[in-house]
Amino acid sequence: MGMVAKSTLMKWHYITGLILVVVLGIHLAFRWPSYEASIQWSGPHGVYEQLLNIGYMAAIFILLYAATYHAMNGLRTLLLELHQGRYWNTAVDVVIIALGIFIVIVGTVALVGALQVI
Amino acid sequence: MTEKLATKRNPPKWSLWLRGLDEWLLIFQKVSGAILAIYLIGHTLVISTALGFGHPSQLTWERVIGLIEGPKVVGVAHVGTIIEYLIALLVAIHGANGIRLILMQYFGLGLPKPERHTYPMIPSPRKSPQLVYKYLVIAVVIVFIILASYVAFVG
Amino acid sequence: MSSVKAGLKIEVKRGTFTFRVKRYDPKTGDYRWSEYKVEVTNRQTVLDALLKIKSTQDATLAVRYSCRMGICGSCAMVINGVPRLACETKPFELGTDVITVEPLSNLKPIKDLVVDMDEFFEKHKSVKPWLIRRDEGEQFEKLDSYYVQTEEQLINYLEFAYCIKCGACYSACPMVFLNKNYLGPQALAAAYRWSADNRDEGYVLRLKVIDSDNGVWSCHYSGTCSKVCPKGVDPALAINLLKKSLLTGKPPAR
Ligand code: SF4
Ligand code: FES
Repeated sequence: MGMVAKSTLMKWHYITGLILVVVLGIHLAFRWPSYEASIQWSGPHGVYEQLLNIGYMAAIFILLYAATYHAMNGLRTLLLELHQGRYWNTAVDVVIIALGIFIVIVGTVALVGALQVI
Repeated sequence: MTEKLATKRNPPKWSLWLRGLDEWLLIFQKVSGAILAIYLIGHTLVISTALGFGHPSQLTWERVIGLIEGPKVVGVAHVGTIIEYLIALLVAIHGANGIRLILMQYFGLGLPKPERHTYPMIPSPRKSPQLVYKYLVIAVVIVFIILASYVAFVG
Repeated sequence: MSSVKAGLKIEVKRGTFTFRVKRYDPKTGDYRWSEYKVEVTNRQTVLDALLKIKSTQDATLAVRYSCRMGICGSCAMVINGVPRLACETKPFELGTDVITVEPLSNLKPIKDLVVDMDEFFEKHKSVKPWLIRRDEGEQFEKLDSYYVQTEEQLINYLEFAYCIKCGACYSACPMVFLNKNYLGPQALAAAYRWSADNRDEGYVLRLKVIDSDNGVWSCHYSGTCSKVCPKGVDPALAINLLKKSLLTGKPPAR
């Protein structure tokens, strides 16, 4: 990622960090009052109800993208701290970008599909 | 025998790091970050599978989640519940400490101005804004642990 | 002496301390521990003790020092687990009978307590720690103008100008341990010291080095550097001020 300044990458790391506090907070708050009930399909706190909640689903979409960026940038930083080298640096960038795109596509397909059916 | 220059550095003093909260937070931030990044990949894959990759049904959801959750351990909590509980704790500490760093480094909150030396010199990590920050991090994490324990094991 | 006249007694205490010294042997490439018992007074330093050991017990012990008064930065070593200047640390003030002395971590050993500072100085140099002016002709040839500086402008960087390049912070930093190429607290503090100087115009040139994978971004403000610095430089503060500049796009306050 030689063409992007590290400060730009890190600025987005910090911005997504702030966003994550909100949306991940929402994601965790939806486990209230019972984790067990929140992962059942039906029921007042169940998954079906969560999928129907537009506000919550918006947060989940934002969470998917923000978390993927934040995690991939963080992972890249860590991998470059552990080791550096011409091939290693390129390999890290390729793997990180591929992994990030993969997560985003899988997550988006599942979420959009779920929204359409329900 | 000839003398040769060492190629390896002197090993670190772990005792210097393991006795300060700041250093614990640093090590924790790195380790939890790595675990959470890997968890994100797994979590996205599992939930996407449970949602049938765009063809959700109660049957797929219950089968996949039932498999992941595993047998009951304590009270209502399954094996999966406990893993999620631990991950949530990592999130809480990573997030609370992360916010501290963001507020400080992005917005300069609690970052002192350079000043003329007065003896004895107090380094900025030992000045009061930092102490407040760090106690807040601990307080937030404790509140989170209480809430999360209720959600996972009682509710 | 006036203090004597004022009735102040200078009390001299004597005590025998055991020094456990971790030594690197360049012939075998291994470390080993040597133990020495030596008598010192409460007014003597660890460096004094080591030199006494060297002259009375073991001439092969290698130590580096120069000024013996906390100015040159040659004598930094890990004393009782913390990097400090041997010439500013008194055995009597450490509070232990057995004092362990080790070479600085994160740096390559040369012999016994002497470490190779090359990579440390290279990193220092890489941030261009000198006064940079856009107009070199005016700076080096014409020499007819003063660069004015007020008291407030001085305070912006003075704290960071006290650095003696001893390497204690570099040796204490967990991120230097994790990332061998990380510039480290000292170099980044120097980058801030010059960029926050109102006479300097080189901030943009330094950005390439400090805003990189091995620049300021590794820092998590554990502040170990600031806690061990014998000169009160507070490199962690400088690094975080640099980060703030990079994130907000505003150059350091000067
Ligand atoms: S910042 Fe302090 S500890 Fe680091 S090299 Fe300078 S004087 Fe030594
Ligand atoms: S000998 Fe010069 S700083 Fe200790």
